[in-house]
Amino acid sequence: MRMLMEVLAELWSMFAGDRRLTLLALCVVVLTGLIALLARSSFAPAVLLVGAILVLADAVFAAAHKARGR
Amino acid sequence: MTAGMITWTTAAPAVGAAFVASTVEVVEAFTIVLAVATLRGWRPALSGAAAALAALAIVVAALGPALDLVPLQVLQVVIGVLLLLFGLGWLRKAVLRAAGLMALHDESAIFEREKAAIGGEVAGGRSKDWIAGLAAFKAVLLEGLEVVFIVLAVGAARGLTLPAAAGALAAFVAVMVAGLAIHKPLSKVPENTLKFAVGVMLSSFGVFWTAEGLGTPCPGGDLALFGLAGVFLLAALALVGLVRPRPVEASA
Repeated sequence: MRMLMEVLAELWSMFAGDRRLTLLALCVVVLTGLIALLARSSFAPAVLLVGAILVLADAVFAAAHKARGR
Repeated sequence: MTAGMITWTTAAPAVGAAFVASTVEVVEAFTIVLAVATLRGWRPALSGAAAALAALAIVVAALGPALDLVPLQVLQVVIGVLLLLFGLGWLRKAVLRAAGLMALHDESAIFEREKAAIGGEVAGGRSKDWIAGLAAFKAVLLEGLEVVFIVLAVGAARGLTLPAAAGALAAFVAVMVAGLAIHKPLSKVPENTLKFAVGVMLSSFGVFWTAEGLGTPCPGGDLALFGLAGVFLLAALALVGLVRPRPVEASA
């Protein structure tokens, strides 16, 4: 049972280890979905790409700030 | 899509991503199996690893046919989002490691730590081989689940599961041959660089499949994957430069 919980915790951390990154990335996907749905615009993938990079930058800067604060 | 119709431009990114990502995971699992073997011999180490591989085979046998029942567009979005989350997480850690803000992954240190941990549990009195085998089982299962996810994620949405699985198998064989030959943790494998590359590849696949699933595919078809990887790579390298401590800051 303990091992099963450890495996589930590991699986959860694979995708949601950094909660802020996960939430922001999901927001970007929803925004891209809305653009794709409403505008059928070919620039939706660009929104997704730029959004993903901004989410990455946010996560890196937050972690760097935390590391320097130690 | 039949095997005969798969072109190299279609299969190469999936095979490459599966091979590189699996190399990293198999090296990590091998370190722990080797720690178990060093402490208690190869029998419990290989028994634990074999049991985990059997469990993984059951997971794949159950998941494979189930994925065929999911509509392709839904599958692409779900896999794309999961890949994006997984890839961005890896890339974040890789950038922090490259910038010197997070300790580098060191297989020799992990080997010693695992040996001490397993040694401590074994000294606790319970069946020694059982505990050692369980440690090997857990390591292979956890790392193996990541390999299964990566293979299915980069392959399933375009009928490339078999080529991706072949990439993972090649990584398994390469690591096993190297590991069993030198009989030491594979600390010479440039794991941190590989993790950087895997983060870039998985994030690119994530954007590619999510966009495809949302009905707005990237221009350029499969070749767009290379463009996406280039943009992610440049962005990640720029982030390394931006967050790397300046010499004054580092010496303070």
